[in-house]
Amino acid sequence: MKTRILFAVLVLGLLASCGEPAKKLGGSITVLNWGTETEGKVWNELAKEFTTKTGINVNIETAEWSVYWDKISTLYAANTPPEVFAMDAPLFRDWLSRDALQSLQPYIDKDPATVEGLYPASLKAYKTDTGYFGLPRDFQTIVLYYNKALFDKAGVKYPTADWTWEDLKAAAKKLTVTDAKGKVTQWGFSPDLYDIEGFMSSLVWSYGGEIVSPDFKKTVIADKLEPWKLLWSMVRDDKSIPSAEMATQYGSDLFVAGKSAMITSGHWSVPDYSQLPFAWDVVPMPKGPAGRATSVNSAGFVMAKKSANPDAGWAWIQFILSKDGQTKLAQLGFAIPARKEVAESQAFLGQSVKIDHKMFLDAIEYAHVKPGFKGYDAWSSAFGDAMTGIFDPTKKMEDVLGTAVTGADKALAAQK
Amino acid sequence: MVDRLRLKGTDSWWMFLLLLPTLVGILLGTVGSLLASVAISFTNWNNVQPAQWVGWKNYIDSFTDPRFGDTLLNTLKFAGLYIPASIIAALTAALILNGHAKGRGFFRAAFFFPSLTSSVAVALVFSWIYSLDNGILNQILTFFGAPAVNWMGKENILFSVTIANVWGAVGEGMIIFLAALQAVPATYYEAARMEGAGKFHIFRRITFPLITPALFFQIVIVTVNALQAFEYIYMLTRRTQGESSMATVVYLIYRNGFRWFNMGLASAQAVLLAVVIILFMVAYFRVEKKLVVYDK
Amino acid sequence: MTNRTKSSWLNEVFFTLKTQVWVWVALVAGLVVTAGPFLWMVSTSFKFPAQQFDGSLLPWPITLNNYIRLFTSAPYLLAEVYNSLEVSVLSTVGQVLTCAMAGFAFSVFQFRGRNFLFGVLLLTLVIPPQVTLIPNFIIFSHLGLIGTKIPLWIVSFLGGAFGTFLLRQYFASIPFELAEAARMDGASLMRIFVRIYFPLSKPALSALAILTFTGSWNELIRPLVYLPSNQKLTTLTVGLSLYQAQYSGQWSFLMACAVISILPILLVFLVAQKQIIEGSALTGIK
Repeated sequence: MKTRILFAVLVLGLLASCGEPAKKLGGSITVLNWGTETEGKVWNELAKEFTTKTGINVNIETAEWSVYWDKISTLYAANTPPEVFAMDAPLFRDWLSRDALQSLQPYIDKDPATVEGLYPASLKAYKTDTGYFGLPRDFQTIVLYYNKALFDKAGVKYPTADWTWEDLKAAAKKLTVTDAKGKVTQWGFSPDLYDIEGFMSSLVWSYGGEIVSPDFKKTVIADKLEPWKLLWSMVRDDKSIPSAEMATQYGSDLFVAGKSAMITSGHWSVPDYSQLPFAWDVVPMPKGPAGRATSVNSAGFVMAKKSANPDAGWAWIQFILSKDGQTKLAQLGFAIPARKEVAESQAFLGQSVKIDHKMFLDAIEYAHVKPGFKGYDAWSSAFGDAMTGIFDPTKKMEDVLGTAVTGADKALAAQK
Repeated sequence: MVDRLRLKGTDSWWMFLLLLPTLVGILLGTVGSLLASVAISFTNWNNVQPAQWVGWKNYIDSFTDPRFGDTLLNTLKFAGLYIPASIIAALTAALILNGHAKGRGFFRAAFFFPSLTSSVAVALVFSWIYSLDNGILNQILTFFGAPAVNWMGKENILFSVTIANVWGAVGEGMIIFLAALQAVPATYYEAARMEGAGKFHIFRRITFPLITPALFFQIVIVTVNALQAFEYIYMLTRRTQGESSMATVVYLIYRNGFRWFNMGLASAQAVLLAVVIILFMVAYFRVEKKLVVYDK
Repeated sequence: MTNRTKSSWLNEVFFTLKTQVWVWVALVAGLVVTAGPFLWMVSTSFKFPAQQFDGSLLPWPITLNNYIRLFTSAPYLLAEVYNSLEVSVLSTVGQVLTCAMAGFAFSVFQFRGRNFLFGVLLLTLVIPPQVTLIPNFIIFSHLGLIGTKIPLWIVSFLGGAFGTFLLRQYFASIPFELAEAARMDGASLMRIFVRIYFPLSKPALSALAILTFTGSWNELIRPLVYLPSNQKLTTLTVGLSLYQAQYSGQWSFLMACAVISILPILLVFLVAQKQIIEGSALTGIK
């Protein structure tokens, strides 16, 4: 008996000391996420739970979005890519084309239950001809947030699910406050006019337009002019939308600063907004002539191709996609879990922040998938850069849109 | 010309040792890097996949990409504003201080200090000062009834960045010019005054020619700084997504190389910038031979 | 005194008075422009967020909250000040040593290829730093040094064209008889360097030290490339840029951060003012 125990201890000791073969018993991985400090704390908690469960150490880092991709790039250059890192679906194809990602298909084949029960739409973004190279962990839909206190002050009725863009425009105008010297002290609406996800894509879709051609060779976002005319009149005539220079004085989010009455955003804003000193609520995106539309986008995890501990990295992905991990993620409130049953459970719907979380889920019905293609980063940069011309009173709408589309098309053409 | 000693005994080894760091620096640092950059610029290396030779593609792409043209234009526009502004401001300050003895030490220290401080911190303060509604500049303007200026907006950003950058760098030049001015022998002035020369005449015929070496030196330095300016531009023009509202070539190199992984393209653009700088230097040294006066 | 000289004397006085007034006006204006941003920065740093937009120079009510926050909930900046100091000091030591070594080598002794090598070194003055950015990055990644502070200062230990040139000029101005005499006493090369030339070149050494230190302290692009997001290890410059995004709109706090960044330099300046100014002037003379 004693020799048996001794033998077992010896074998275990040998296995543990070998490091590589003993992945499931320990070792460590590096996981990278983007996010604010608040999100970082969320991930730290999940990491702790993971370590307790599997014995694998997690070196988890959360970097600011603006430097996140620089950091990943640096790690690759140093030949120490992280085992797992967060991926934004539209950028997935870029990374795939660099041959930088590990195929997850062999792991999935061994354990198909991992992907069962995930929203099919979210899975599509990460599928290739040879299988999955990433898996979704959560997704976002865009809705309209509004500041109840500012609406009350101006005596304007709260937005409803029946709102159209004209209703939004009219309310935004009434909610834009100018002081005696002509300076705007409060804006009606402060959407993101750089990346299309925040507002512009939903606007265009609701007028029946599209973003890029199906073969990803042409930018068609400005083919229909009506949605842009609406946006232009809000910026130029009503002055109810602030420019970046107006907005950044008050911080990165004008809504948080209490200086804008409405904003379109995803569920990621909920935890930050829950700290706000004023009452706010959400309604679905207003309707356009072609109906209601919003953007759905997922974030997922991918594995780097030549990382040190890929099996342990897969263990992390499994953990995050498991009912347990998804429930934890849901309760922390940043996004909609990719696992259907968790999204439809109280873990998500019954969060501490008392708003209609189901609305975010229901938005899937009328949501369009945020386009993801090779060169998305450069494409959206070119477009967003040119769009700043909307605030220049000397520039005509057709010219600004023309420059934007030309620049965007050039970015597309630069892709092999 | 100074005589020189000859190497004796183990001196040769020591000489080699003294020069070793510099030799490594040249091989790996400057010359080596220039060659390596040129080499990389002919590939499509992206940090992840092995590099593949693509010939002149990166250069052609840069020339046909309006964005590169824009950034090059921004760089040249900025240099065109910054170099004269910086030199004139520094020279003016030096001239005033030179002719005025009372409290010179204090003013000299006060005007010099900003150039020692971190340009990033200064740029941060300027982004606050330039704020559209609440920055102190616009508050002062509107107090006096003038319209507020959108300092950080695309129309004005070039001037705003130039002003901030000049503010932060003028001290260095001032000190150099001041030293040069004070090195002019007083006897020259006395002689000139005895011949009845007016102040302006003295400046034009005596002072100015004698400070041309310092002027030249400073212009060279300021030009190199201008064409490579990064700190103020990064801090004052960068948007949340990482793009710049007034990108210069250095900014683009940084974005191409370290955000979009395109090391080949970034290297090509670095080489192109180096060519621009070298052209400026060649032009300057041609002019130096004709205009700069060296006192012997 | 004839009438003519009397009136021209009066003219002289008036002219001098007028110029004096204008000079004082210019000096005071210059002072306002120079000190203004600093005063405004300090003033804002002592204000509560509610008053940060009020436009008054004197903060009222006054608060230390922004500074306290630096120590408690946003502690990275202080670590970053230390990191910047570390990198700057090491860079300075590296440059001073290696440039003095090379400057001496080029000035006192004759050896084969001296002029050629010096010419090559001068040529490198024309090569701008961006060109070295990417190849250096590659070398450091192969050495496994990405993610550390080492790439930021180690390059300073490889000499530099400007510093070498500066020191060489200064060494050349040291009387050659000293070297000759030492040689006749049987002194070796190193002895002449360490015992005679190095100690005598303090002005040039301190000029180079100041230049290197401030250059390193202020630098943004290389720390941004090597340490873009590690707030514990990165330098002050990157840290401030990260805070600019993270605490966007919180101007009173950001101004406190700026004050903390400038404070070390201010203290050093107040103490070593004369040396610093004279040292900087020296770099231009040669």
